[in-house]
Amino acid sequence: MLLHRRIYQFLIIYAIGLACLLLIKYGLGLSDYVIPGPIDIWHTGTEEFGRYFFDVLNTLAVAVAGQVISIFIALLVGIAGRQATWVGSFIKVAAYNVQAYPIVAIAPIIFILLGDGLLTRLLIAAMICYFPVLLSVIGIMAEPVVDIEHFYRVTGRMRWQLEVKIRAFENLNKLTTVIAGSATLAMAGTIVAEFIAANAGIGYSIRVALYQSNLAKILVALFLIGITLSVYQGVLELSGVIIRRAWTGK
Amino acid sequence: MSLQIQNLALKYPGSSNFVFQDLSFELKEPGFNSLFGPSGVGKTSLAKILTGDMPHFSGRIGHEGMTTFFYSYNTERLPGWSGVGKHLEKITPAGRLERREELISIFGLEDCLRQRFSQLSLGQQNRVNLLRYLLQDFDLLIMDESLANVDELTREKIILRIKTLYPQRHFLYISHNVVEVSKFCREIVVLRGAERHPQSIVIRGQDARIDREIDRGRLDQTMLEIVNASS
Repeated sequence: MLLHRRIYQFLIIYAIGLACLLLIKYGLGLSDYVIPGPIDIWHTGTEEFGRYFFDVLNTLAVAVAGQVISIFIALLVGIAGRQATWVGSFIKVAAYNVQAYPIVAIAPIIFILLGDGLLTRLLIAAMICYFPVLLSVIGIMAEPVVDIEHFYRVTGRMRWQLEVKIRAFENLNKLTTVIAGSATLAMAGTIVAEFIAANAGIGYSIRVALYQSNLAKILVALFLIGITLSVYQGVLELSGVIIRRAWTGK
Repeated sequence: MSLQIQNLALKYPGSSNFVFQDLSFELKEPGFNSLFGPSGVGKTSLAKILTGDMPHFSGRIGHEGMTTFFYSYNTERLPGWSGVGKHLEKITPAGRLERREELISIFGLEDCLRQRFSQLSLGQQNRVNLLRYLLQDFDLLIMDESLANVDELTREKIILRIKTLYPQRHFLYISHNVVEVSKFCREIVVLRGAERHPQSIVIRGQDARIDREIDRGRLDQTMLEIVNASS
């Protein structure tokens, strides 16, 4: 149901965007060179679909890997940063301050240091995804669930594993939403990396289309990015619902 | 094992008003005692001071022979990832299995053990919560509305059996039910607010037990004393 909703919501938004573009084209009398007509877009779509589809899958694979890495590290740091110690405070303050900086601006430095290729794409994707996830995880892990934790604390039964489990369980909805939302960030990070530092992936293909001033190719690429991301986010949300049902029994 | 409160004063940070000022009373013997008073008079604050959860106070608290204090309250919850029975198994100290089964039976919770905490009624939730505290080692257990939403007959049965099972422990029962505290409690500490003198009055309750009938006339007298002290 979630998957289905995600896909048709994207299709509606894409159709509206495309309609606006065509409205501008015909309204201002722009040539096909600036904004291609619907038939042109369709032809480009049928020609490039196969190649772009595998490019998007390539990008998605890197984005998923970057997202998994960033979630894993965010959980580790978030769990360490939940405590009211100086280490916890330092991690929280650092995360808030770094998050305020546009991480994407650091991408060229990574490109200079590592060159183009998989590692650069992965690192940029993970960095862009990491800080928002970290902030959410720290927020969740640093907030005591007093009504549940009280008993374990006063009877001396509280262990850090139990504390993390209680807080994660009580905020399962927030966590799954953050993880599903971070997929977009990871995808955006990977595409940005491919714009500047790759010879593969849909970002690289968009860059080539940009040099050719071929808007039809860009529109086809955007369609495939959107539909793939919708499916991926839907799958993440569905997994969240399945995990929640299994864990909470409702 | 006595509990002595001497010249206790508490003011919340940033507030100019005292919650208590020069509060003193003594509960000399273990038993089922009560903290009584209108809302906002400081019952929960006093409970938290006793259990060490509220540090900013002055005065002296004497608790000769007592080391372990617990504060239980009626909005506590159990984690929702498994059934109530499994949670109780995990928090039962070694050698207390029989006591756990006995309490489950007294509290009427046999049918709730497979359910998750959120699936229980409020009364059942409160009973489960209180039960897990009673399985622990404690010298003083503060029950802040711990039997709220439990029907009167079950509440009476639970209180009477707790008194039989734990004769050497201190209980401080926080409730707004004047009949209940008059009937079941040995001593009732009526808190009257920081602006009144004395700030607390200790009234002798009827201390009902399974094997002892209470006198209706004396119960009425106790209730009247409590109402007079708190009004």
